[in-house]
Amino acid sequence: MEALRNACNFSDFPRSDLTVVGVVAVGLVSFPLFPHSSFAMATMIQFLMFSLYGMGWNTIGGYGGQVDLGKAQYVGIGAYTTAVLLIRWDIPFWVSMPIGVVLAVAWSFIIGYPLFRLQGHYFAIATIATSLVLKDLFEVWEFVGASHGLEISPILYTSPDFLRLFFREDVYYYYVLLGFFFLGILYINWFRKSRLGYQLRCIKDNEAVARSLGINVHLAKVKTYAIATGFVSVMGSFHACYIKNIEPEDTMSLDISILIALMAMLGGAGSLWGPIIGAGILIPLKSYLKDWLGATSGLMGIDLIIYAAIIMLISATEPRGIWGIIERLRRRGSK
Amino acid sequence: MALLEVNGLTKDFGGLRANEDVSFALDSGEVLGLIGPNGAGKTTLFNCLTGHHSPTSGTVRFNGEDVTKLPAHEIARRGMARTFQIYAASGDLTVEDNVMVGCFLRTSSRSAALKKAEAVLGLLNLSELASVLVSELPVAAQKRVTMATALATDPKLLLLDEVAAGLNPGEIEEMLGHIRHVHQELGVTVMLIEHVMELVMTVSQRVIVLDYGRKIAEGAPDVVVNDPRVIQAYLGERYVQENL
Repeated sequence: MEALRNACNFSDFPRSDLTVVGVVAVGLVSFPLFPHSSFAMATMIQFLMFSLYGMGWNTIGGYGGQVDLGKAQYVGIGAYTTAVLLIRWDIPFWVSMPIGVVLAVAWSFIIGYPLFRLQGHYFAIATIATSLVLKDLFEVWEFVGASHGLEISPILYTSPDFLRLFFREDVYYYYVLLGFFFLGILYINWFRKSRLGYQLRCIKDNEAVARSLGINVHLAKVKTYAIATGFVSVMGSFHACYIKNIEPEDTMSLDISILIALMAMLGGAGSLWGPIIGAGILIPLKSYLKDWLGATSGLMGIDLIIYAAIIMLISATEPRGIWGIIERLRRRGSK
Repeated sequence: MALLEVNGLTKDFGGLRANEDVSFALDSGEVLGLIGPNGAGKTTLFNCLTGHHSPTSGTVRFNGEDVTKLPAHEIARRGMARTFQIYAASGDLTVEDNVMVGCFLRTSSRSAALKKAEAVLGLLNLSELASVLVSELPVAAQKRVTMATALATDPKLLLLDEVAAGLNPGEIEEMLGHIRHVHQELGVTVMLIEHVMELVMTVSQRVIVLDYGRKIAEGAPDVVVNDPRVIQAYLGERYVQENL
């Protein structure tokens, strides 16, 4: 009960912020009612998905300060669990998604337990390695279609199917995702004020101090890594239903891992709104630049260069991202 | 029964012996001072007691239990809290956030932790600074924050590592009041490392002196400071020969 109250309590943010949040929320809910292109809709869905990936990453990467560059492996576990269970045994999304979470979290313990003996850059490198190894395994595993992946055949199901999350119109996916998005915000809002949330920020600050205050640093990291994994796995399952055609290359590649981390860092690692701000800037930029420039030969890949430049600028000027800049200006303003 | 019993504690760092065969006991309700020249191994001793270092040999018993091999967080849970000499704050945490981390050791409820934090902040005269970032505070207030955070874990024994270093006389006086209050009103046993003699001599009932990792003297503050071995450790052999 107290947890629910804390999740819904945003009173530590100034009223101006909450006004912006309210306007954005109304905008998101009403977006499909206005005329829009299917490209805009697809971009909005990407934005919501990456916001959720980023929120998950933010628990361990932002609040905990442990830079994780291997989240794609858990996108893969979620996506493949849902796809395999649906194709082979016709098990609906709402059953396969929790199974995916259980499998992903179990895998995260196997990975996280030894990996959190490493510090800083070594941890980041090890997360990349484990993710790439898992991707390579999936590429040769016949049961999950090896490198061709799996396809959810559109002719087998009728739309709209809310149990299997099978829709022909994107607007259904949009609203399901929006539900996850709001739940995700409530969860992170609770998390950041929970015991684990405080302990993580202390760990990020100074591990020796954290230990002296009775915190089992290793266990706290492993637990948080599992929470981050849960978020990512749910979105992986959703990804399978939405894309309907999954391959190791586009669900588990290094690009996805890095993009997840970059969104959160750009917006502001370790803040509630950071990952959403990051995804809100980078996703439209990425897809519109690709659309606009990608067709012109010779300019392929310029989108990557442009957002790499933005990231460099942010990390050189304010490591805490856009939210860090906002907070700094606000502190200066109040003095 | 002694709250803390240290027996033959030795700590080597490679070829360097930082603590050698240190033994002492601390009763519940006592205030024990730990003094010695720079590099005498005082902080290393604290690190060994609190599980931040693993002693090379010797034992540490706390509250009747052998805690020598326990990790730091387990020792903290058993009621031994400490402050750190150098407080490295990244600047992300406010004063209240810091104290909250300590409070969360004994409860998982946010409202209970907030209530506790409010009380501890009030005790150490930090209420008005609750929402300030620790990195923006002057030294004296930072020292009070580390003490408040440690106190928030409800310790039986509080180890203070140079909480008066870098403070002006007025601030030392205030810190002295806080230590007394913690000891007398809250009934916390205190062991403190201190170079500020007026503080350590006033507040301690007993003092231990370390030099080159060994315990060279132990006793009432006024007796210990007149011990030739202690004077020699601080001021050198020649001073003792010429002046005593």
